[in-house]
Amino acid sequence: MAQIEQSDKGGKKKGAQKKMQIHVDFTPMVDMNMLLITFFMLCTTMIKSQTLQIALPSNEKLEQSQQNKTKQSEAVTLILDTERDEQGHVVMEEDAATGATYPKHIVYYYEGKPFEGTFADNDLDKDNFIDADKLKLKEQRFRGNTNGQTNGIRAILHERNKEVLKKIDALKLEWKEERLGATKEANDSVFKARAREIRNDSTLTRPVIIIKAGPNASYESVISALDEMQLNQISRYQIDNINSTDSLLIMSYLKTQGKL
Amino acid sequence: MGKPKIKRKSTLIDMTAMSDVTVLLLTFFMLTSTFLAKEPATVITPSSVSDIKVPMSNLVTILVSGAEAKSDGSLNRTVEGKVFIGITGDEDSAYSSEKVRRDLLIEANRLYNERHPEAKVNFTADQVTAFSKLGMFGMPMKDLPAFLSLPTTEQDKIMKEFDPNKVGIPINDNRDLTKLNEFQIWMDAMQRVAQDYRNNGTVNGKGEAIAPNPRFFEAIKKTGEGIAIKGDKDTPYSVMHVVLDNLQTLKLNKFSLMTALKSENE
Repeated sequence: MAQIEQSDKGGKKKGAQKKMQIHVDFTPMVDMNMLLITFFMLCTTMIKSQTLQIALPSNEKLEQSQQNKTKQSEAVTLILDTERDEQGHVVMEEDAATGATYPKHIVYYYEGKPFEGTFADNDLDKDNFIDADKLKLKEQRFRGNTNGQTNGIRAILHERNKEVLKKIDALKLEWKEERLGATKEANDSVFKARAREIRNDSTLTRPVIIIKAGPNASYESVISALDEMQLNQISRYQIDNINSTDSLLIMSYLKTQGKL
Repeated sequence: MGKPKIKRKSTLIDMTAMSDVTVLLLTFFMLTSTFLAKEPATVITPSSVSDIKVPMSNLVTILVSGAEAKSDGSLNRTVEGKVFIGITGDEDSAYSSEKVRRDLLIEANRLYNERHPEAKVNFTADQVTAFSKLGMFGMPMKDLPAFLSLPTTEQDKIMKEFDPNKVGIPINDNRDLTKLNEFQIWMDAMQRVAQDYRNNGTVNGKGEAIAPNPRFFEAIKKTGEGIAIKGDKDTPYSVMHVVLDNLQTLKLNKFSLMTALKSENE
């Protein structure tokens, strides 16, 4: 291949040039190319990172929005916490059902009106913790799906928002079959508009989620919580600051679990 | 007895085909890849199901460093929460990264000097040029001129040492618009520069007038695609919250968080 053969077709004549063979050795070229490939492979990224878009209220508006209180039955408060060891690393734990390991992000949650202010004396026990039977706090994890079944906190949020999800699933079916518009683009845009309409449909029972991150809660757990909002098509949620009431709730919960 | 004669075979392997293949591979890598940006701190972003891509242009990246493992395995918390800013300009070469960075430095410096009349900081033209070549920066304003005068290798060395007292843009939980901290000054300067680009193509009516470009303004103020926050997954949210809260104070309340892709089932 790397030879160039020169042959004279005119037969052997006296004084004709000798048949020449030029052989080019490509080995150094290959060596150099390999080096360059290695360089490019090490110095580049193939994966482009993704983004999660969020909109937070500006700080001035926060006071106003706190005035329009949510309906008691609709609210779910999630308090996030992450367990860390004494060195500060996030503790990993194994899920009993699937055997997979997850970082230990704990989601404490309660349904109903968010606790605010101070508690009446009859709510507290002798150590000033909230009485075990008054405390509605429960504990869950971020566990995703197994075999199409929602697990952990996702199952709870899924249940709370099932009216919306049912409608969106029906719409998704139509979208997959491209029945919403003539072209692919029209199909997509109609789907997006209709999905938004369903998410914001006030005639359906929709939850309001309040996400609070504890002092140890990692950034990852907050992102996981925001993911759950997206996956469960929840349109009304807010990220709130944790306060002493929330801490008291968790302490009381840990006491009922005998962990304190 | 005579030795049997072994016929000498040529061991020459033809490398042409191999060379063809490597050139093809090389072309592929050169065309598909984007270079890793030089970042002062390595972070592992949390994963999310969101699949929106990071834009290639008009992007302000805010990097928040995470804790670092020490040799004994414990975490060094003092290097956590240091803030760095990286800027990518528009595809339009009139609004290149270099120009945006240059305009930003001048504007931020003006705002800084307005607020700190007792300790004004001034940049030479060479320092501004050096700044426009920095992919990501994170320094207190008062240390920036000296840093920019250093050769690139020295700059890298300082960034690598990562002395918590020397690197990172100073930030606190200020919510008062009259007492902006340095991070807020930088972000405020960004807003002003973007606004000027949209209105008349110059900053503060200075410099050559070029065709206005609203894209930077839209990216950072309207859609929020232009502000990407990159943090480590194990960093406590309270650390990230300070950055988000600072942006909220400046009414930059739409932004994106950089994540890695994961499937719905995880």
